[in-house]
Amino acid sequence: MKIRVVENVLKLNDEVAALNRARLAEAGVRCVNLIGSAGCGKTTLLLATLSTLSGELAIGVIAGDIATTRDAERIARHCPEVVQVNTGGGCHLDANQVRQGLAGLPLEDLDLVFIENVGNLICPVGFDLGQDASVGAFSVPEGDDKPAKHPRVVLESDLLLLSKTDLLPYVPFDLEGFRESIRMLREDVPLLELSAATGAGLANWIRWVTELART
Amino acid sequence: MHEAAITEALVEQVREFLPASATLTGVRIEVGELEHLDPVVMRTVWEVATAGTELEGAALTIERVPLSVRCRRCGTEHAPEDPAILLCPDCGAVAPEVLRGSGVVLRSLEVEER
Repeated sequence: MKIRVVENVLKLNDEVAALNRARLAEAGVRCVNLIGSAGCGKTTLLLATLSTLSGELAIGVIAGDIATTRDAERIARHCPEVVQVNTGGGCHLDANQVRQGLAGLPLEDLDLVFIENVGNLICPVGFDLGQDASVGAFSVPEGDDKPAKHPRVVLESDLLLLSKTDLLPYVPFDLEGFRESIRMLREDVPLLELSAATGAGLANWIRWVTELART
Repeated sequence: MHEAAITEALVEQVREFLPASATLTGVRIEVGELEHLDPVVMRTVWEVATAGTELEGAALTIERVPLSVRCRRCGTEHAPEDPAILLCPDCGAVAPEVLRGSGVVLRSLEVEER
């Protein structure tokens, strides 16, 4: 006998993500899910963002990692409101881990929460965490073919970043080909090219973050 | 390796739908092309997660759903040959809305009444 069902396997995750979204909305906090490969510069970008916006926006961070508190320790030097979530081997954050992370943040006092996802361009994309915006980060040393190899992160991000542009003179990277590969997936997604190390292009990112936090 | 998390969620979901009076013999799921899920890994996780439980021995059938999109500009639906090139064959816009090929869906349970 066959029992017909049509139900999303990640239904439970999506339900918890909806609770997170409601909790954030109730506190009037905007939330960004930052997704990118290990070593693409997520933490360094967050540090630059926190130091630039210090005194202007109250920002909390949920730092996701397989293990260790290294990211949270780096971030805590610039931001008192940081929670480390260790996935214990898991390659992505899920909504329930973020729910626990949010419980450790004084949401009523914050304008914005960054979720720094586990370094990975594949697994985190399918898991809604309750964010207002998803940001997909690529970096120059990864190579110019990453958007074409990871279409879903391009399709499901509200903003794309290319970081470490200061390395363009030193590594083989076809910048025009990179931009074109994104345009072959979606012509409407904004792309910001920046370097957290030199500060080049950072102002555009800061403007995007500030606008999101104030809408 | 998000195969493990998704397959474990599937095991819990199957338990919810399985009538107490029935034995599970098979499960059919659909996996979108964009999910980057390895069916061999999913079946292994399924076997490990169900071993020694009331679900042991049930076969997991995984149907791969190819990507299909609708152009937001002109409405044309098409199935891209290359998931990295989502150009509309009619109007040339690249404004795809994903219709199929994303997500993991439980479709049916095969059961035997005890």
